[in-house]
Amino acid sequence: MLIVDGVSKVYQSKVREKLWKTTYKEVKAVEDLSFQIEPGKIIGLLGMNGAGKTTTIKMCTTLLEPNSGSITVDGYDAVKDDRKVKSLVNMIAGGERMLYWRLTGRENLNYFGNLYGIKEATLKQRIDLLLKEVGLEDAADTPVEQYSKGMKQRLQIARGLINDPKYLFLDEPTLGLDAPIAKHLRSYVKTLAKEKNKGVLLTSHYIDEVEELCDEVYILDKGRLILHDTPERLTASVFKENSLHIWVPALPNRTQKELEKLLRTYHAKMEIKQSIDLEEIEIIIKTEQEITSSVLALLSNHQLTVLKLVVEQPKLEDAILHLAERRIG
Amino acid sequence: MIGWIRLFLAELKKEHRNMFHSRLVYFSLLIWPVIGFITSYYSFKPFSLNDNSPITRFVPPDHLVLFLLTGYLAYLFFWSLVQSAWQMGYERQSGTLEMIFLTPVHRLALIYGRSFSSLLESVWLFFTFVIMILFIVEGIQVDGWWSFPFAFFILFISAVIWGGFLNAIFLFSRDAGFFYTILDEPMLIFSGVRIPPLAFPIWAKGLALFFPLTYTLHIIRMLVMEAATFIEILPSFTVLLVVLLVLINISAFVIKKAENHMKQTGSMVLF
Amino acid sequence: MLQTAKATFHRNMISMIRAYPWSFFLSHILSGIYTVLFAYFTYTYVFEGVLDSRFSNYAGTNDYLSYVFLGGALFSFAVSTLMNVSRSLITEQREGTLEALLLTPSSRKGYFLGNVTQQITRTLLEFLIILIFAFLLGLQFKHIHFLSAIFIWFCAVIGFFSQALLLGSVMLYFRDTYITQNTLFVTMAFVSGVTFPIGYLPEWVAPLSWMMPLTPALEAFRHSVLEGQGLAASGSQLLHLSFLSFLYLIVGSLGIKKTEKIVVEKIFS
Ligand SMILES: Nc1ncnc2c1ncn2[C@@H]1O[C@H](COP(=O)(O)OP(=O)(O)O)[C@@H](O)[C@H]1O
Ligand SMILES: [Mg+2]
Repeated sequence: MLIVDGVSKVYQSKVREKLWKTTYKEVKAVEDLSFQIEPGKIIGLLGMNGAGKTTTIKMCTTLLEPNSGSITVDGYDAVKDDRKVKSLVNMIAGGERMLYWRLTGRENLNYFGNLYGIKEATLKQRIDLLLKEVGLEDAADTPVEQYSKGMKQRLQIARGLINDPKYLFLDEPTLGLDAPIAKHLRSYVKTLAKEKNKGVLLTSHYIDEVEELCDEVYILDKGRLILHDTPERLTASVFKENSLHIWVPALPNRTQKELEKLLRTYHAKMEIKQSIDLEEIEIIIKTEQEITSSVLALLSNHQLTVLKLVVEQPKLEDAILHLAERRIG
Repeated sequence: MIGWIRLFLAELKKEHRNMFHSRLVYFSLLIWPVIGFITSYYSFKPFSLNDNSPITRFVPPDHLVLFLLTGYLAYLFFWSLVQSAWQMGYERQSGTLEMIFLTPVHRLALIYGRSFSSLLESVWLFFTFVIMILFIVEGIQVDGWWSFPFAFFILFISAVIWGGFLNAIFLFSRDAGFFYTILDEPMLIFSGVRIPPLAFPIWAKGLALFFPLTYTLHIIRMLVMEAATFIEILPSFTVLLVVLLVLINISAFVIKKAENHMKQTGSMVLF
Repeated sequence: MLQTAKATFHRNMISMIRAYPWSFFLSHILSGIYTVLFAYFTYTYVFEGVLDSRFSNYAGTNDYLSYVFLGGALFSFAVSTLMNVSRSLITEQREGTLEALLLTPSSRKGYFLGNVTQQITRTLLEFLIILIFAFLLGLQFKHIHFLSAIFIWFCAVIGFFSQALLLGSVMLYFRDTYITQNTLFVTMAFVSGVTFPIGYLPEWVAPLSWMMPLTPALEAFRHSVLEGQGLAASGSQLLHLSFLSFLYLIVGSLGIKKTEKIVVEKIFS
């Protein structure tokens, strides 16, 4: 069990440099955060840019020391027994850093494996296995600088698994990846947790990703935890308001009246926008219930052609704003 | 012409912002040269420095400090430009230079604008040195008050043109560090900063001719150490002008070549 | 620790073979050669070999050229070693691999040990090339006490290595390589007896000379190469050197440990 208990982190950064004088600015990146990761579970950490997700991960992986609070991994303290903790955890970040570009994929894994003190025979086996699992067998002996972005990302994953960590941290792992690769990665993460019994913490700002993978979700805003729930309940409570965009050539008064009446019964809100060239009208309906078919039926009863129809999932930004407002109110 | 001046001024402003508050200036143009100067002064200590010393053939031992100071001062003028040229190399890597090359402005304006402005930034440092020379050191012999501004003028012009040349080179080379190694330290040895070129064997004298600093230093030392009149330095001065003209032409040639190369291959790296 | 050292050695070797740092190599050799050449010019052409009467007293030898040649060669070896080791962590940071390295429970000492042993394969070559050049210009080896020279060289490596750890943590802290390293190098050239015996220096410089491992290393090295003395003759220098090595090793390791943390905080990604 990985236990994060009341952890805070404050960054001090230099703001201005005037010859020999510097002033400091403090940023509270994480404030009084607590959560737990159990083996076999995938935890989602959701938040907008700057919410403190990366900072949290860096603290859990011993790269950063918290200013207050404690992190224990299977009973070891992340600050005092950092070596022990390091061998239990690993982290994979999006992007192309954290690899030696001049070395081949295999050489990279070999180097990191040695830094973890893994015995040679075990290491060799593990490298072969990992290379196969991430689909880099053919590129194993090519220098990383010749890898594509997706290949580098996959090698990152292999590096993150080289010490067979019990807890794995993924910092926006699908950032900038093509959709099929991202999808493959997600299913791989799922097997890691479910079949290999690893505790996984994943940060993201895509709701779908979190919804698909995670057993529990934490939402961070400006360093503070604003919600902790299962993804299902989360989408049911916070993300339930869909918006429905319908484009029609015209909207006669009579139709509009009927539509308003219909929406009132569902407690839905409506907004009407006219395009600049006056050729079409956009109807935006915000609702918590499934009313698409009734609305469409009404429009067709009035002989209106629907030019285009878009159902929008709620955005994380909106949900967080919503939640933050609710907390203040 | 207007474009020339505008770019020149723009470069000046940018250099000013880049350099002025940077600590680097204090280290590279004050602390390091001062330590270097003292080191080379002490490096003469193992040798005999009395009146019978062989060095009297070139410099009287009690003028050695002045000799070294003029040498280092002139060298510093030239050296301060290496750094600005270096920075230009970085700008190429970050892509800002390509933007400049999109403009129709004169390329030479760019390199001399840079060279001139980075020199202006550090001019106060040089003045400190000059004042040190004037008040602390013995052995100054000048023909008249004009000798100082004139020496300064010569130094300034040759340094700017040298800096422009470096800018042109660094702009288009993959490995500026390599050119630096080739150009900078030999300049320190062969152009007579620390030892008089007259003492060199013939091949080294030949090498010295390739460094504009040699000519500049020669004139400056004539002006402030030997009380040379204008007529006396005229021949050396003419040679210096020719050398500088050649250097300008080489810089222009390099730029032209590099720009052609860039148009063909899309790469700014020429060598 | 040894596993880390071995792996790091191996990793650096591969990188070096794939992309040989020619310009570093060349510029180190050239600046050593320039020092040698400059001394030769000054001695031969300017002063025609006429030395100050105190020189042999201060230097322990009459052979000015050999004295300075050894100084120049060992100085540039010291500079190479200091630079390579001290810059290694900051290079990791610039190339984005520092975090991956710090994620592992590996020993930092092992990491540096691997680095320094690998880089010695290169710097030793630089050193030898400079010595060969100096030999052509008149460096005398006829008295050399070979074994003790090698032992002293080895102690010098340890000294430079320890100093590099300290330098590295200072650099990491200020996230600057250029200013810090060059300031150290010009100071070393001034105070360590590279081109002139430190006896000529004013009193107040003595503490600075004393702080540089290069100072005792050079004295001892000259004893063994120029005067052919065994280790016993350099006892006090070796003691001095070991003391400095020990001190810098402790302070440097602590410094690296501290600054590592600071640096990770400063990484924005
Ligand atoms: N090295 C740093 N120095 C100063 N402030 C930082 C640093 N890293 C992050 N921050 C600040 O801390 C906050 C949290 O950042 P981060 O943990 O990276 O957020 P996220 O990963 O959720 O985008 C942000 O306001 C960010 O600006
Ligand atoms: Mg982040």
